[in-house]
Amino acid sequence: MLRFALNRIAMAVPTLLIMAVSVFALIRLIPGDPASLMLGDLADPVSLSDLRARLGLDRSLPEQFAIWFGNVLAGDLGRSITSNQPVLALVLERFSVSAQIVVAAVLFASLVAVPAGMVAAWRQNGPLDVAVVALSTLLLSIPTFWLGLLLLLLFGLKLGWLPVVGYVSFGEDPWRALLYIVLPVATLFLHEIGVLVRMARASTLEVLRLDYITHARAKGLSEGAVLWRHAFRNAFGPTWTLIGLVLGNLLGGIAVVETVFTIPGLGRLLVDAIFARDYPVIQGCLLFVAFTYVMVNLVVDLLYPVFDPRVALE
Amino acid sequence: MRSVRLTVLLAGLLAAPVGASAQTLTIASKADIRGTNPGVNRDGETDAVAFHMVEGLVAYQEGGTVGPMLAEAVELSSDGRTYTFRLRKGVKFHNGAEMTSADVLWSWNRYMDPKTDWRCRSEFDGRSGIKVEAVEAPDPHTVTMRIDRPQSLFLDSLARPDCGMTGILHRDSVNPDGSWKAPVGTGPFRFGEWRRGQSVTLLRFDDYAALPGKPDGLTGGKRPLVREVRFLVVPDPSTVKAGLQSGSLDAAEVPDSDLAELSKDSRVKLHIGSTAARHAVLFQTTDPLFKSAKMRQAIAAALDVNEIVAIASDGRAKANGSTINMRSPYYSAVQARGAKHDPALARKLLAEAGYKGERIRITTNNRKSVPSFNIAVVIQAMLQNVGVAADLEVVEWATHMDRFLKGNYQVMVHSYSSRLDPALSFEHFMGPKDKQPRKVWDDPEAQALLEKATAISDAEERQKIFDRLHERMLDDMPLLILFNPIDAWATTRRVEGFTPWEGSARAWETSVRP
Repeated sequence: MLRFALNRIAMAVPTLLIMAVSVFALIRLIPGDPASLMLGDLADPVSLSDLRARLGLDRSLPEQFAIWFGNVLAGDLGRSITSNQPVLALVLERFSVSAQIVVAAVLFASLVAVPAGMVAAWRQNGPLDVAVVALSTLLLSIPTFWLGLLLLLLFGLKLGWLPVVGYVSFGEDPWRALLYIVLPVATLFLHEIGVLVRMARASTLEVLRLDYITHARAKGLSEGAVLWRHAFRNAFGPTWTLIGLVLGNLLGGIAVVETVFTIPGLGRLLVDAIFARDYPVIQGCLLFVAFTYVMVNLVVDLLYPVFDPRVALE
Repeated sequence: MRSVRLTVLLAGLLAAPVGASAQTLTIASKADIRGTNPGVNRDGETDAVAFHMVEGLVAYQEGGTVGPMLAEAVELSSDGRTYTFRLRKGVKFHNGAEMTSADVLWSWNRYMDPKTDWRCRSEFDGRSGIKVEAVEAPDPHTVTMRIDRPQSLFLDSLARPDCGMTGILHRDSVNPDGSWKAPVGTGPFRFGEWRRGQSVTLLRFDDYAALPGKPDGLTGGKRPLVREVRFLVVPDPSTVKAGLQSGSLDAAEVPDSDLAELSKDSRVKLHIGSTAARHAVLFQTTDPLFKSAKMRQAIAAALDVNEIVAIASDGRAKANGSTINMRSPYYSAVQARGAKHDPALARKLLAEAGYKGERIRITTNNRKSVPSFNIAVVIQAMLQNVGVAADLEVVEWATHMDRFLKGNYQVMVHSYSSRLDPALSFEHFMGPKDKQPRKVWDDPEAQALLEKATAISDAEERQKIFDRLHERMLDDMPLLILFNPIDAWATTRRVEGFTPWEGSARAWETSVRP
């Protein structure tokens, strides 16, 4: 297992390198630079030139890349052009905020979606199956920003049960922090359930058609035992992979949800940095997101044999 | 029973919510501030927080003129080069120290030190504007500044919010090694806490030495009536609206599109004014098609500016074809003249300009806070009526700014930020294009007039120059100025005395009922 993990990490290095070069180049191809945005329409040539020199933007691109990448290898992602904060500290701080929402949402969604999908498959074409499929399709179709706003208006404005704006961290006040993340977690939970239920149902349907399930039923086992003792472990594998992909994707930023609920997370940081052309933050965020994606999927792959012993790590 | 207990528990947890205390004024901010160092790393949101904490020798007043702030009086020598500032006595810094001329000198030297990175340094060191030759403090309550040549905009430049108002700071604002710590100014509020990405909290300065009277721009009466002001970052307009309606927010700028609904909502009050910013249609006079003045005049005649303004502002703004805002003392009957809508004249001018049906490109942006996109769509339709085919090129803001600064457009719908003095307002778009591609009007004779207006102080003479410039601008039509945007803010009913200014909140002279 250790060799597998190390191999996978080693394989990720060229990916991250290509990522670093691509992001560096692509962001600079987009028109506009941070100096002109900072000075705005009052930018006179002298001030622009001063600011570009201070930000190191007057150097050649290869030189800028070499300086930045050299620092990255030493663990320094640079400083934000807009706020002058160290990028690594900024990214970790914002990631911790996004992560608590994403992990909670995906965990709850998985705990509900997997049994629901399996039961729907077990009762295929029955009223329960139809209801589950219809509801999951509806939830999947609703854009997250609209769903978030609806929840905000209902629970925040209409009922007054939950706060409408602001954020409190768990470190500051755990109880109040819970109140502030209920709605963003609920928004993501409802959306991801739609995604996960469909995969759980589809993979369960496939497994229930296999001979060994027929054999288990012929032996006289109860439907419960057939479903949870025999079908579950084989059916769960694809859903587990999907959970990993969803988690990796969402950990990369939930900008829309963060914007609606005024959460200072990684997604908003990245979007704001792109609009401000804050190159170090964009580069740092995307490298971090790529690294997180690789790590999450590595953990998913390492745990796969727990659910499906037929799969061996090679 | 369980649900009742849960409701009570939730209510208890919400007992100390955001903005509910009568001593806290919670104001929504579209984005986080960039820093707390005035005039260094800044944008509009940053300036709006900074001017609650720091004050300069002079400050902008309501109509865009400059008046005394920390200076009690300002005298100008007969040669127009030496300004003598008599400082107010008894003004304290947030750390309790009394302000003297030594602090003014220290602040000035710090601003002019390249290591500070003050964005306005080039305005005063001779590279872009005048050169401040000497700053002296002959006694504890007097400061003199000598400049290299007479310039009527010197005080304006000191007062500019984007320059941090050249705020006077105590040396406790910096660490022993000179690096920035936090602002220790003389403003009605002092720095409290900055939670990056979330909020900035300012605390009442109990020893604030308020000037008498009502608020007057960034000067006048500025008593801090609340204990705390919290600028909360809320980027989404829908969330802002929900926050106001729920009472979580006390004040927020609201988009024009929400005004109709909010005007009927008994929970909020609206405060609608205008700013000195300008929405305009720019013509690239180096473009083969638009180098012809007839072509530019043709486009201007094809546009019904009143209708464009009504659509873009939901009927709330008035057309203003002058670069001078209507609240300025320099807004004369001449300035009130604008381009006339005349489709027949437009067709005639198009023919005279040799227009052969080429498609023109109108560049605009998708920024939500300005109506540029809507304006461009209406212009496209109006041009079609006179036989001009136009394509819209919609780009995001950073790309728009890049195109604007490089002059890379044929026609552009652009929004200029506020510049309160008319000379600064004209200078915003006048100048040599070969040196500054962002300039729209490159006319040496007009430039000479503008330079004269910046050198003299006589208001009547300046008025004559501005009127001549306006008439010349209408003849040449390098750009078509449409209107000054409205400034719409909403507050909850428990907020009293709130008056925004130039698109920014002013937390002073504002109270919150419990």
